Amino acid sequence: MDAQTILVVEDEFLIRFMLADSLRDVGYQVLEAADGDEGFDILSSGKVVDLIVTDVRMPGEVDGMELTRRSKLLAPGRPVIVCSAHLFKSESYPADEFLAKPYSMAELADAIARWIGDPWQKSSQTHSA
Amino acid sequence: MAEELPDPQCLIVADADVLIRNALAEYLRHCGYKVFEAATSDEVIMALEEGAVKIDALLADAELSGKFNAFELRIWVRDHYPDVEIVLAGNVDSAAKAAGHLCDEGPHFQRPYDPESVAAHIKRLLAATRRETP
Repeated sequence: MDAQTILVVEDEFLIRFMLADSLRDVGYQVLEAADGDEGFDILSSGKVVDLIVTDVRMPGEVDGMELTRRSKLLAPGRPVIVCSAHLFKSESYPADEFLAKPYSMAELADAIARWIGDPWQKSSQTHSA
Repeated sequence: MAEELPDPQCLIVADADVLIRNALAEYLRHCGYKVFEAATSDEVIMALEEGAVKIDALLADAELSGKFNAFELRIWVRDHYPDVEIVLAGNVDSAAKAAGHLCDEGPHFQRPYDPESVAAHIKRLLAATRRETP
């Protein structure tokens, strides 16, 4: 059985690598995107993505907020965790969970587990509610 | 006492196209490598200079952008990190073939699947994205 897949969208290379590497060590499959445009390319490619972890402020046309909106259009039930040092929780903001930077890997792992469980939990494959 | 496994060898896959980069990196992880994914030459430099792990090889798209183009990057890496093997790939097929060669030399000495299927998979992903993108 394939492990659940997390898309990590972060323009800071070392943060992205550290996050992806830690999540792979736990057992998740991880796709890495260097900005929101790349994140949307991955979502559009038809690859299965069970959860998204994204930064907010990134270069390119698609920032973290726009990526969240587009993900919710493609798959309304797919959880999105937003991580940022400049976080403004708002009812109009469609993300499912907010983590303020700096956060620990344990906090992120807890948040991920709350939404999709452990890496080997049966993937729902599609999250179109 | 259980025998300690050696640390996996480390590679950087550098390509501006995320679908190509993801697919090549995933293939190489199946071969047993630890893989850094870099979108630009700046990220390659950062990975090398960060220095937390020793990088053994760099597989880079010949059209890589950033502070350096791919050819300037090759010169910079040779000057600063002469032990790093550098492979420049001009297209998806040659990148997949190069990844296959790295797998042949890699920690597991075993290809998870044929490089041609990696190239075909990447092309399917690229075609799907181009259909979706307005």
